[in-house]
Amino acid sequence: MAEQATDRLVRMLGILTYVEKHGDTPFAELAEHFGVSVAQVRADLNALWVASEPGDSWFPIDFSADAYEADIAALVRNDGVSQVRLSPREAVALVGALSTMGAAGALPEAGTQVLAKLREALAEPVTVIGDDHVAPEIRESLLEAMRRYRLAEVEYVDAQDRRSTRVVDPHRLVVIDGHAYLECFCRRAEDYRVLRLDRIASVTVLDGAVEHPPTDTAGFTLTPAFRATVRIARSGRWALEDMPGVVIEDAEEDVIATFDVADAAFVAGRLLSVAPHLRSVTPNRLVDELRRQAQSVLDVQR
Amino acid sequence: MAVPKHQRLLNLIIGLSSTRHRLTRDQIRDTIEGYEPLPHGASEEEVRKAEQSFERMFERDKKELRELGVPVETVEDPVHGDEIGYRIRPAEAAMPALDLTAAELAVLGVATDYWRGAVLGSDATQAVAKLASSAEHGPRVELPFAALPAVGNDAVAALVEAVADRQTVRFEYSSSSSGAGTRTIEPWRVVLRAGVAYVIGFDRDREAARTFRVQRIGGAVTPVGEPGAYDIPDEIPLGALAESGDVATARVAVRPESGHALRRRGTAAGADGGWDLYDVEYAHADALVAEVLALAGGARIVSPAGLAKAVTKAATAALEVERG
Repeated sequence: MAEQATDRLVRMLGILTYVEKHGDTPFAELAEHFGVSVAQVRADLNALWVASEPGDSWFPIDFSADAYEADIAALVRNDGVSQVRLSPREAVALVGALSTMGAAGALPEAGTQVLAKLREALAEPVTVIGDDHVAPEIRESLLEAMRRYRLAEVEYVDAQDRRSTRVVDPHRLVVIDGHAYLECFCRRAEDYRVLRLDRIASVTVLDGAVEHPPTDTAGFTLTPAFRATVRIARSGRWALEDMPGVVIEDAEEDVIATFDVADAAFVAGRLLSVAPHLRSVTPNRLVDELRRQAQSVLDVQR
Repeated sequence: MAVPKHQRLLNLIIGLSSTRHRLTRDQIRDTIEGYEPLPHGASEEEVRKAEQSFERMFERDKKELRELGVPVETVEDPVHGDEIGYRIRPAEAAMPALDLTAAELAVLGVATDYWRGAVLGSDATQAVAKLASSAEHGPRVELPFAALPAVGNDAVAALVEAVADRQTVRFEYSSSSSGAGTRTIEPWRVVLRAGVAYVIGFDRDREAARTFRVQRIGGAVTPVGEPGAYDIPDEIPLGALAESGDVATARVAVRPESGHALRRRGTAAGADGGWDLYDVEYAHADALVAEVLALAGGARIVSPAGLAKAVTKAATAALEVERG
């Protein structure tokens, strides 16, 4: 597909601004920095060269012809042309993503710096709310293990409150739905796992070296066991909106949600919290699990 | 040969930035390299066609520049009657010098992944391309960080534009309290929390500030009326989205080897029979109740009584849920 005119324009203005800032620049460096071929750099420079004011009265951008022959971009004159600012959408996209990573507790140091620069220049284009529950020493220890390619022993409490100690090959920190996770190979499960950072109680960096390479398929690997259908009053709808593969349809005063279930105990725990709004649940095994958990709660809570 | 579009757009930016006052449509067509001046001695029919084709081309160019973030201003001049002119203020159009390091540029690459598959994804990529202009050149930086795309809803992009333009919008919304219906709002601000997008604005029909979860918007977000139609208040009420300054403390009893998350957050407060007691701060009662319920008997609330009651109420209701 041919390149969009505006994409090309942004790169041309980028090359101009870059050369103005950094001084004489070899074409090869421009090609690498902007991710295009040297031939494309030449074409972009030519397009800048012939840019004109109305009536062809003045050519505001001029490069040295001698330097051009030597594959170097050397700016002779730039009469006020520069890269254009971020649009509101662009600003929200970048600041929103970086702030979400920060709120989740998985933003690198350089990210904090660039976010501060963007916020200063763009006057807070979007509000991001979040509370990072990740202890700094957990994050630092994991980053140290990753930096040195060492194994780590982590104490982990899963969503069902099961506590375990595992040795993992740590790969990277990833933000999924606003929460930070560790992507790793778990030696105990002998498989790739994502562990939620705020459920890691402690990290010990071990001497052993990482042996398992990172997986290509990032994120969750749980395979759904079955599909559930839940009828719930509108007021309880929010609890089901982020279920995997969810489809929600309006049904009079209720909604009917269908979604994938990988772990019935986990989903039953979710349903329990909105039980006063629930009308019906399918299949039976999910209903049974829900009732079993409810009875266990009533046995202890008075 | 016709002047390519990127060249024409660059000349248009230069022309509108360098004008002392403004350029009218006729001036743009006749003097900016890339548009076709009216042919000399053309017939009325030919002139009409040429004017139409210029109008179409210029309107599209103007729209694309505005989408790119270039503020193309409309300037009316009483001396020239209703003939509209245009200009760009160079200081407003230029990217501020951010001087990014190679590592900072690499983080921005990770941030674009967050919007992959959504409309804002191409905006993020475009933004990084712009920021590369003032970044240092260095060896490629590999970061052990990633962001997976959030649950996408392209309404976010339209709402961001509406906020920037201060333009009223209309959309179909499934509310938790009042069912599905059409909402007309003056959007004030887009808010992200834990990967979920919200928009806060003034609801025209309810005549009050409201918060909308963007995921519940069905179909398109349609602009209504003119841009600049309302003012955005300095203080935007975050309502239920707020961090919540009001924190209360609950006493929770947890079984041994249970409630690890509660133990980590709470303060040990002794023991009671076979249970360990913890004082746990909470901002949202619902969240703590849900957490205790999810432990399925591994924890119970000692106080306050209201929370204990909420736990039993939910569990009792769960026993009565019908099989579908």
